[in-house]
Amino acid sequence: MVQLQGVNKSFSGVFEPVLKKINLSLGKGEYCVVIGANGSGKSTLLKIISGEYEADSGSVSRRGDVSQVVQDVNKGTIPAMTMLENIALSGMKMPRFAFYKRHKSDILDKVRSLNVGLEKYIDNPIGVLSGGQRQTIATLMALNSGSRILLLDEHTSALDPKMQRLLMEYTARSVREKEITTLMITHNMEDALNYGDRLIMMHRGRIVEDLSGPRKSQLTIQKLLDMFHRFEDQTMVGDGGFNVD
Amino acid sequence: MSIDLVLNGLQQGLVLAIIAYGIMIPFRFLDFGDLTADGAYPLGGAVCAVCIMGNVHPIVAIAISMVCAGLMGICTALIHLKYRINSMLAGIILSTMIYSVNLRIMGKPNVALFDCGGLFGSDIYTNMLVIMLFLLICMVPFALFLRTDYGLRFRAVGLNPGLAKLQGISIAKYTIFGLFIAGSSFGLAGSLMVQLQNYMDVGIGVGILIHGLASLMIGEAIVGNATLNRQLLAPVLGALVYQQIQGVALSFGLAPSDLKFFTGSIVLLVIALKCRESKG
Repeated sequence: MVQLQGVNKSFSGVFEPVLKKINLSLGKGEYCVVIGANGSGKSTLLKIISGEYEADSGSVSRRGDVSQVVQDVNKGTIPAMTMLENIALSGMKMPRFAFYKRHKSDILDKVRSLNVGLEKYIDNPIGVLSGGQRQTIATLMALNSGSRILLLDEHTSALDPKMQRLLMEYTARSVREKEITTLMITHNMEDALNYGDRLIMMHRGRIVEDLSGPRKSQLTIQKLLDMFHRFEDQTMVGDGGFNVD
Repeated sequence: MSIDLVLNGLQQGLVLAIIAYGIMIPFRFLDFGDLTADGAYPLGGAVCAVCIMGNVHPIVAIAISMVCAGLMGICTALIHLKYRINSMLAGIILSTMIYSVNLRIMGKPNVALFDCGGLFGSDIYTNMLVIMLFLLICMVPFALFLRTDYGLRFRAVGLNPGLAKLQGISIAKYTIFGLFIAGSSFGLAGSLMVQLQNYMDVGIGVGILIHGLASLMIGEAIVGNATLNRQLLAPVLGALVYQQIQGVALSFGLAPSDLKFFTGSIVLLVIALKCRESKG
């Protein structure tokens, strides 16, 4: 569903390329988690896949529409519209000259299935909800969009631990049921271990670990943290990371 | 303040409501600063005047005026979308150009239509009813449209263009559509005003945008724009109130030549109050 070959990406003013010769292939319904330190190139990778950035060289191919949930909820929702309108808009691949309120009962069922009590705000402007509640709705919108590829950039960052767990489980269940190819960025090592079929670690623009199957299932938090720190320590004794002009 | 002044204010207010409604569409639904009103309103008037002088039925004359002014709206949208010219600048350039076009259409700066017949008679109540009917013909289909799938996508274009693009919504198509509707409204208002006054002057559009904008802002200050219904009600209510404020000012001895200064002051006052409210 997603294929990247030899992708490089640089930005003016940054000496070191942000992405270096990235090769990545994601199959149908594959759920891939990406971890890495700040500035390792995770978000750039996601933006290359979504088409927001163009690769300097290499090839990017995606088969199917892309939906994404980003940390900034203002980008992923329309605060002045009601929750019903936001979710109706996201699921509207084939618009008709018919009242959008016909979707209300379906949408209510979907919001209820989140099991977080947000259904009572269905007719309220989404802007009155908290950041975490809006992130939850943004995730539901992305899952509701019918897209075959889903990109999640720390989509639970504004949530409390209980809501985080609920939304992560809901996301995992939905992408599994709908066979959505998913790439999820997280800084939470526990989530990285517990969710997804595949774990990718990025370091200074490269994919340095790509674990799946038994190699992933045998990982523990401690091993993952050791792995993470090993690469970070290399940076500390190396040339100090990115140089910004 | 006499009852005649109130009734005249209401009649003028209903026409102004159509203009304010046209201003609201690009400003509030498309986030598109459109200044086409100053050109499209007299264009509608000029086309209507010439049609009526040519014995075209008044309703047909209105329809032709609406299409012409709507096309002007499309031109503003295309100039902005194709050449990336600032939307306001595109509107100003076109409005300036259309002044010459209007003179060409009419052949002279002003025309009288007293003997040509028109939609309106001497009974002010009937006249108001007719204008109200046109206002409803404009507003009701648009209000219904906004509640459809396409209407939801139309609103998304102005509220979050980035998200709209992600949803596969064509910003250009909806902008062109929105500006056509807005332009048609200005054309309708222009043609109604010309028939109401039985007179068309090439300068009738000067400052009309600011009158419409003042109406919209007053309406939003009264009913707000938190919901779709309130947003749609705001230009109508605002225009009616605004005309009455003008009537009161005139009855208190304000010189008609000072009206534009008065209008600008109202707009500034409403903006200042809104700023204060949002800070507080």
